[in-house]
Amino acid sequence: MDALEEFKQTYFQECDELLGDLESHLMALQDGETEVETLHAAFRAIHSIKGGAGAFGFDRLVSFSHTFETVLDLMREGKVAPSEECVGIVVRAGDIVADLVAAARNGEEPAADFGADVLDQLAAIAGEEGAAEGADAGGEDAADDVDEIEFTPIPVDLDGDGGDGGDAEAQDDADEAAAPPAASERFRITFRPAKTMFTRAHEPLIFVRELRGLGGVTTTADVSDLPDLAELDPEAAYIGWTFELKTAAGRQAVEEVFEFVIDDCDLTIEAIDENGQPVSTDPGEGGEPQPDAPAEPQPDAPAEPQPEEPTPPAAEAAPETPEMPETPETPDTLETSDEPPAVPTAEAEPTPDEVEPTPVEADSAPTAPTAGPKPADKSAKEAAAPAAKASGVTAIRVDLDKIDRLVNMVGELVITQAMISQQSDPLLAERYPQLVQGLEQLHQHTRGLQDSVMAIRAQPVKSVFSRMPRLVRELSAQTGKKVKLVMSGESTEIDKTVIEQLNDPLTHMIRNAADHGVEAPDVREAAGKPAEGTIHLSAEQRGGRIVIQIADDGAGVNREKVRAKAIERNLIAADAKLSDEEIDNLIFLPGFSTADQISNISGRGVGMDVVKQNIQKLGGRVTVRSEPGKGSRMVMTLPLTLAVLDGMIVRVGDDHYVLALANIVESLLPHKDDLQPVAGGGTVLRIRGQYVEIVSLRRSFDMAPPADADQELIVIVEVEGGDQVGLVVDEIVGQQQVVIKSLEENFDPISGIGGATILGDGNVALILDVAGLRAVHKRKVAGQSQTTSRVDRDQEHAA
Amino acid sequence: MMDDTPTVETNLDSGQGQNREIEHVVGSTVQLIAFTVGEQYYCIDIMAVREIRAWSGTTTLPKTAEFVRGVINLRGTIVPIIDLRARFGQGQTDANKSNVVIILSVGERLYGLLADTVSDILTVPEKDIHPVPETDGAAENPFIEGLITKDSQMVAMIALEQVVDEAVVH
Repeated sequence: MDALEEFKQTYFQECDELLGDLESHLMALQDGETEVETLHAAFRAIHSIKGGAGAFGFDRLVSFSHTFETVLDLMREGKVAPSEECVGIVVRAGDIVADLVAAARNGEEPAADFGADVLDQLAAIAGEEGAAEGADAGGEDAADDVDEIEFTPIPVDLDGDGGDGGDAEAQDDADEAAAPPAASERFRITFRPAKTMFTRAHEPLIFVRELRGLGGVTTTADVSDLPDLAELDPEAAYIGWTFELKTAAGRQAVEEVFEFVIDDCDLTIEAIDENGQPVSTDPGEGGEPQPDAPAEPQPDAPAEPQPEEPTPPAAEAAPETPEMPETPETPDTLETSDEPPAVPTAEAEPTPDEVEPTPVEADSAPTAPTAGPKPADKSAKEAAAPAAKASGVTAIRVDLDKIDRLVNMVGELVITQAMISQQSDPLLAERYPQLVQGLEQLHQHTRGLQDSVMAIRAQPVKSVFSRMPRLVRELSAQTGKKVKLVMSGESTEIDKTVIEQLNDPLTHMIRNAADHGVEAPDVREAAGKPAEGTIHLSAEQRGGRIVIQIADDGAGVNREKVRAKAIERNLIAADAKLSDEEIDNLIFLPGFSTADQISNISGRGVGMDVVKQNIQKLGGRVTVRSEPGKGSRMVMTLPLTLAVLDGMIVRVGDDHYVLALANIVESLLPHKDDLQPVAGGGTVLRIRGQYVEIVSLRRSFDMAPPADADQELIVIVEVEGGDQVGLVVDEIVGQQQVVIKSLEENFDPISGIGGATILGDGNVALILDVAGLRAVHKRKVAGQSQTTSRVDRDQEHAA
Repeated sequence: MMDDTPTVETNLDSGQGQNREIEHVVGSTVQLIAFTVGEQYYCIDIMAVREIRAWSGTTTLPKTAEFVRGVINLRGTIVPIIDLRARFGQGQTDANKSNVVIILSVGERLYGLLADTVSDILTVPEKDIHPVPETDGAAENPFIEGLITKDSQMVAMIALEQVVDEAVVH
């Protein structure tokens, strides 16, 4: 069970990636992209999702994606025109697949009619009456599949012997259409391995791949030698293949493919003409004699969602399985490329009785009764497709913990390195120039190492961005506004932890842009703008930070309304003088919402301040800039990583503390008149007409008052919720990147302290948590009534 | 005497938790690190000790008890230091380089104990660890879990869990 559960997790992880891919391909389609490769890619994504779903028995997902895939298949073959309507349906189908995957992951059963309308529409396109039955199409589909599969093998098989002129021609056409124009010959290669072939470590899949590398291949499997399951020797080779190859490479190249296996097989290579030569293999042998008995061992693997099966869809299945029939299929899942025609043939034939709708490969056949030419078609296109596909994936999955350990270790190295550097003085450089030179190099290498390690954790923001088009679609459906989402910079990379926490704020901001920013189509047209609004979501790296912007071409922030609302809600004073920018940014205050009507999209007044909080938690900042009538632009800046913090180091007493630089607004030497005690204890600082709460670190930390209080500085820091707090410190020491360490690992949490770090001299510095400090301060102020004395003294000193 | 012979051998390759388990079963000896705080000798089970360092200053942790001297950087890990003298209610240690910090692992966490000097490693038969008399009026009482006599000197065995728990007061 555990193993299965593990496979499931892997499957869902892959689904995430696949759904992201699918979304981007569908987006491209929607934008009028007509490349057949886009359709191929979308097909592959949905196909892989379906394959895994079958293995785990997610029937709803399987039946839906099956129909979906059928439509995509028809589209990529040009049988269904990518009309606007059709693309619209396909895009919605993509959303439903995502929902079904989510439901499967959460172990929920979606409502019986969920997605039924889209399924009907898909089925209508596909012309599949069976699937049109609606939500519980699973069973129907199964029946359909079986029906179609029963029919398909025969044309495909006959193909091999050229008996079916029509089909062969269709194939050729396809070949010609897609294959490179080089002058080419045709060969028929009959390859019958000796039973012992596998014991010599030969792998037929490799031959197939190499042949494919030479040109378009049509593959037919000959399973006539397959014995009953009981007699089957799993290590013996039973299946032979007939390849029809169209290549410009010449006979010698073909022979070279089989060079090493020549002693372990019967091989014939004959040149054939356009229509194929008269038969050299017996057509009947193709499989008819053994409709069910030999079938068992083969379809077993692809057709049944048995627990061992998760592997092939999981793409981890290396083709080393001793079962021959599986090998030709494996490349599919492995490379997520098109299926070689051998597959439908080999498997479809013998299994009419037991095929379920789930098999990974069965789908290539069911689409149409004309399945014969189709595989050929596919292979031809495949051959035409860039060879890049074959290069394979060069990524590995690594446990995040391992990477974190590495990151920590490098963090230590950086600190140690800094420590050594601090020790080297000019004298040292004179006496041991080479040592100092070495230290310099060490410094550079350490930095390089740190950057590389951080880059491992980095991921493209695409994984979050790709969820947004759907959101915009839904929003425009709900609001009746026409909104287009344009994205750029999706490949910008950012720390994985940041990415994970980016989804919510981004969703809120896009909602806000669609709901509040973009106007209704008639309003837009009246204003001389295109009826369709545009939201531009972009990401880019600027220095050590990532900047994500959400720009809309809507009405912009209605400043009068915002101001009025803020006054009404007591968020600002009625006579407060605010710049335009300050007014715009009022929307980030808690409890602020200007939507006249509370909709379920936005307007609950929690959106934007939550956005701000979330982003601040990530060490980032968010602002809005707006131009009335032209739109607004929300700018979010985020640190590249959470493991490292840009800190300002301050001194209080003998100890150094670190403040997150991102939250610091300004620092100043206060004038005594600006500091005023307030009723109930506490102090405020008046700054440009606003009052800022003052928190003394010394007092919060029960330290003695300083000897020279008039030298104390105030650092104004923004805390969660948009409030500003002035921290009283002794000195600002400097600015430094620090590696964040856990204090709680060995000690109980201390309110006001967010963590610790190690400075260049090896000493520990505590990282301040300003929101926590403020809470501590409030308790203290509430607990003591004579607190004003401190303020008085401050003022005396300042005087 | 015969009893001791096998355990002496075992002690040679101490550091193996398993060995110690076995020793316990056969009711033999434990190894203890003995150190001083002021005039008094204390000891702790050697198995809890990770390393012994010279005092090198700490970063103060605000709003903690007097006996929490702050934290140090132990090769990248932040480790809190407990001043035993302060813990026993005798005021903070005026620490300098001759003081020692004994790094311990207690439960899942690491702590450092600030003491004056490390004096000895004792190998003591378990039966020689005496319970603390209930009426003992010593101030450090809650932090002592046993008494040993070594060369006519009393060595108090420290109850680690109690010492590092801020909630426990003497």
